[in-house]
Amino acid sequence: MTTNTRTIQKPKPNFETKSWLFMRYSAILLIPLVFGHLILQDVIVGVHRIDLDYVEMRWASIGWRIYDALLLAFAFAHGVNGIRQVLNDFIQSDRGRKFMHWGLFLLWLIVTAIGTIALIGGVRPIS
Amino acid sequence: MSNLKATLTGYASYRGREGHYSFLLHRITGLGTALFLIIHILDTSFVYFFPDLYQHAINLYRSTLFGIAEVGLVFCVFFHGVNGLRVAFFDLIAPRLWSVPKQRFSTKITLLITLLMWIPASAIMLYNMLYHNYGWFGG
Repeated sequence: MTTNTRTIQKPKPNFETKSWLFMRYSAILLIPLVFGHLILQDVIVGVHRIDLDYVEMRWASIGWRIYDALLLAFAFAHGVNGIRQVLNDFIQSDRGRKFMHWGLFLLWLIVTAIGTIALIGGVRPIS
Repeated sequence: MSNLKATLTGYASYRGREGHYSFLLHRITGLGTALFLIIHILDTSFVYFFPDLYQHAINLYRSTLFGIAEVGLVFCVFFHGVNGLRVAFFDLIAPRLWSVPKQRFSTKITLLITLLMWIPASAIMLYNMLYHNYGWFGG
């Protein structure tokens, strides 16, 4: 009896593999972050008690700023990559996908930059 | 345009029962959350860029229309999160467990957990909305 062995080269992870893994790893991180954010801000505090002073008070603590920075970084990247995966179902041409990928990348970059500037700059007094 | 029609027809006509519905619901809730997230990052940035307008944006969120939308948003986030955790568990930790019966069962559990979280959360949010916007419960 002979045994035949075959070696299979495991393919190198490409961008889509990494993006697939990123969605799952970021999901695990986002569960406590996003559920915590929602339960605290929407349910316990509520939108009727949120105003400029509330944001100022919250952002006075560096811990909450880091919390919000993590939300901004991971939730928005997860969201934009999700939009990209959905649109890949509808746009099949290479040219269309390239256009869509660059558009979404710019959207991600600009919105993340705006959010980061506000998070670092903090609440400014009403003029 | 034919791609759009072909993909949408595929979404609608595929008969995958629980796995299919959870795929569709995951996409819809994810897209809804992502759309709100873009708006939400921008409105929160008002505290730095246009602090005078921040209260105006918050007043919109306090309206009854947005109060009801907020209840829907919380459903989207809870379902997308619990279902995402289910998918991540099967894909990363136990890929050997992927099977049609387990998918059907775990999808139902996902929906149950979502509802158990969502119903009390929306009751509190609706209470707050009726209290502040309509003066119910002594508000």
